[in-house]
Amino acid sequence: MDGRFRAFSFVDRITRLDPGHRIEGLYTVPATASRFPAALMAEAVGQLAAWSAMSAVGYTHRPVAGLAGETRYYGAAVPGQTLQLAAEIERCDDEAIAYGGSASIDGRCVLELTHCVGPMLPMDEFDVPEAVRADFEILMGPGAPSGRFAGVNAPQLETTEHSAGERLRAVLHVPEAATYFDDHFPRRPVYPGTLLMDNLSTLALQLAGDLPALHGSRLAVARVRDVKIRAFTAPGQTLELSAEMQSSSADGAQMKLAARADGRTIATARIDIERSHR
Amino acid sequence: MKEQISKQEIEAVFPKVAQVIADALGCDVGDVQLQIPLIEGLDAESIDFLDLVFRLERSFGVKIPRGKIVEDARGDLPEADFEKGGIVTDAGLAQLRDFLSEVPAERFKTPLKAADIPRLFTPETFCKVVVRAQRAVPAAS
Repeated sequence: MDGRFRAFSFVDRITRLDPGHRIEGLYTVPATASRFPAALMAEAVGQLAAWSAMSAVGYTHRPVAGLAGETRYYGAAVPGQTLQLAAEIERCDDEAIAYGGSASIDGRCVLELTHCVGPMLPMDEFDVPEAVRADFEILMGPGAPSGRFAGVNAPQLETTEHSAGERLRAVLHVPEAATYFDDHFPRRPVYPGTLLMDNLSTLALQLAGDLPALHGSRLAVARVRDVKIRAFTAPGQTLELSAEMQSSSADGAQMKLAARADGRTIATARIDIERSHR
Repeated sequence: MKEQISKQEIEAVFPKVAQVIADALGCDVGDVQLQIPLIEGLDAESIDFLDLVFRLERSFGVKIPRGKIVEDARGDLPEADFEKGGIVTDAGLAQLRDFLSEVPAERFKTPLKAADIPRLFTPETFCKVVVRAQRAVPAAS
């Protein structure tokens, strides 16, 4: 497990911890990272909140991706930049953590998360509790070595249905093996929900680009709402992804997103795509 | 002692509760009938219940402690007397039938696994949760 606490860890150091209320930290996107999707900024805030939750319950449980009420994107991080992370903990017990948070670069907010809920599950299903506790001590002390994340490959999406500007469906073959599975999670590899959202966003951007009013424009994800992850996705699993246009204007488009596995809906969200002014 | 909740109290909160349920489940608000089972009738899953509780808290400005429904249903009955080996005891079942009075008797299958208690929940169950939480607000503040 060479990738443990490396391949999919997005907090380098915890700079402030007010147990049960607030946590702050830093993460530097490695200059050598091949690709750092914007959704990973949300992952970084979620992981920061997770450290607060895990330490609060004595490492008996850990949160997993569940609900994200609203994620607003105001910018993106590029390799070499440092994210200042913060999370406000609304509630935390051994059933769930509720939190909001933000990521900033040089004091400018690039991401805001509100109304997020992570169900708490027994830690020993996912990792070695004592090892997680030791990792937390490192983050609270000198910090973890930077440059641990190598990047993630762009998703391999196979289009299965495309009704221009209305609907786009594609198949995602989740890799059988990837370094991030060593870290997410060491005892139970799960395809990260934020990568799934990144894959769905890719579909949404393509569908928005079909619209005559937006065709040829530089587009970006402005907001993702009502994310709900209903089930874990295992390595090697095949998912059917879909984006359905709900409404559009000269400046953007709103869509519904879904991921299905074996006919069952495993994730849903709504997304707003806008012309990028970044 | 069983806490009485009137039909009027339930009707007062139901429209907003129905909208919250429709938003959480992504269904039409017209499909959210007062006594429809949320799992069998509206395809709700465990993550939806978590979502629902947080949405209700925000919509009504109340606090709903986790596990509140089962805890309230148990009442004064010790946990060990409410369920044994994951199965709800006869005493627990009687308590549950009384507490979830909106649920038709035939839906209480025996033996009832404690993990299956949420299968009994309906929108009315959550209306009652909200009413109880609203009543608790003055005491808590």
